[in-house]
Amino acid sequence: MEIRRVGRNAWRYGWAALAVGGIVLLLAVSYDAVQDSKGSFLVLLQNYVLAAITYYLLFFLVLLVVRFGMLILYSFMDHLESLYKVRSKDAVRYREDSSLPMVSLVVPAYNEGPVIQAAMRALLALDYPNYEILVIDDGSTDDTYEKAMVVARETVGVEVRVITKRNGGKADALNTGMALARGEFVLNMDGDTKLSPNSLRACIRHFENSKVGAVAGNVKVINRENLLTRIQALEYVEGLAMARKAQSFGRVVNIIPGPLGMFRKSVLQQVGGYDRDTFAEDCDLTLKLLMRGWHIEYEPAAVAWVETPSRLQDLIKQRYRWTRGILQATKKHSHVLWQPRKAGINCYILWYMLFEGVMWPFSNLLGNLFFVFVGLQYGLATLLFYWWLQLTVLDVVAAAYCVVIEEEEPSLIFFAIMFRLFYINIIDVSKVFATIDEWRGQAMTWGKLEREGKL
Amino acid sequence: MDLISILATVILITTVGTMVVGVGAYAAFKLRDKRKPSSGRFDETMNVDGPLEPVFLTRYVPGSTAEPEPEPVSDER
Repeated sequence: MEIRRVGRNAWRYGWAALAVGGIVLLLAVSYDAVQDSKGSFLVLLQNYVLAAITYYLLFFLVLLVVRFGMLILYSFMDHLESLYKVRSKDAVRYREDSSLPMVSLVVPAYNEGPVIQAAMRALLALDYPNYEILVIDDGSTDDTYEKAMVVARETVGVEVRVITKRNGGKADALNTGMALARGEFVLNMDGDTKLSPNSLRACIRHFENSKVGAVAGNVKVINRENLLTRIQALEYVEGLAMARKAQSFGRVVNIIPGPLGMFRKSVLQQVGGYDRDTFAEDCDLTLKLLMRGWHIEYEPAAVAWVETPSRLQDLIKQRYRWTRGILQATKKHSHVLWQPRKAGINCYILWYMLFEGVMWPFSNLLGNLFFVFVGLQYGLATLLFYWWLQLTVLDVVAAAYCVVIEEEEPSLIFFAIMFRLFYINIIDVSKVFATIDEWRGQAMTWGKLEREGKL
Repeated sequence: MDLISILATVILITTVGTMVVGVGAYAAFKLRDKRKPSSGRFDETMNVDGPLEPVFLTRYVPGSTAEPEPEPVSDER
């Protein structure tokens, strides 16, 4: 065990040593030139580093523009496709209620006392004739179970079951729900989520295609009360209307969000449900489905309203966990990274996740540090401004497109500037630290967010 | 100072500021995450079987804790 750990560390630090060795080699090769011109090694090193960073940032910028272009193109094609489907399949939309399959809604709840009743009551108002609700109380230390039981007792018409169990984490609670579900389809959600009434009908129509194993829902922010939550509202809209929609065009949505995901129960059983070895169980499960060849689609009309962190500390905690969880899930399936011919599009999906999770935040911070240094050292602060401006233009274009597609509040476009000005640097710092912590194998905890009961 | 220079200065200050806030927020998060309540004192009643009598919150009855008055001493000699 000890030998394996030492070996792993040697491999990690080996890369760092290789990078330092490369720079030393470069300096050694330049030795004669520096001696001849009576120059300084420090200046030479600085020039090398600045040149390398400049080329890297140019490469990153090209990648970024290509990414934006491709995402907008594919998401628009998906949008057109979904409009065509809605118009051409009237017979499906007005199908007899009696033919709709049963859906089991699994609601894992750990200390969701302030929001569980509102969430359950919203579920009882869903427009669907054949469903049951399973609330899995994951050993809450507050009154979640009692509050859920109050709603269960007063409910008539829809079967509501409240199950309490020893605390075992969200994945364990969802697996318990999956085992107890009676429906042919399972809708997994969070205890603090409110679903739009048409969610089940909107999702279920995707399963007419037998290749579709799961459907990812749309997630929107309900507590748009301050700058932080409004920027997050825009972030969610952009993430879903652009990235998720583009992925849906290829049927390869890479994260079925925790607040709303519908699955065939047989598919969940086939992949063994949720694993407990990552902090992003939803991402891990999605990758397991993709690796088995199942198609995953996105349904924008099925909306899950969620409460997002309204304080900076909670936001940092959430993003730290997401980043490490996604890295853990990617690592689990990392063999696919080097098998492009065998894995096909799954290989691309994993590289894309690494780009978004690791390369993007690192490059953003590197770019900012580089331009701040150049600005202070050489008085070229205008370069930083132009760097910032071109990223902001990309953000504003993306925001405008997404707001139109999602029929969202136009005022959100303004927050694209705030996003680039205040928000993304702070988030990127926590993502970079999370990546370093994950790389070093540091221990972490789940980090339950405090709910404010805004539903 | 032209407009671009003013905007560049604003962006420079904001960029440095937000990165400092980011590092500070991360440090605060890690400190808060590491803090745990210290383990409590060993509970001596942990291994005792059977119902336990409460050893505190004895009902207060006025006068019950007062020193008993001394018996009158009879002077029968």
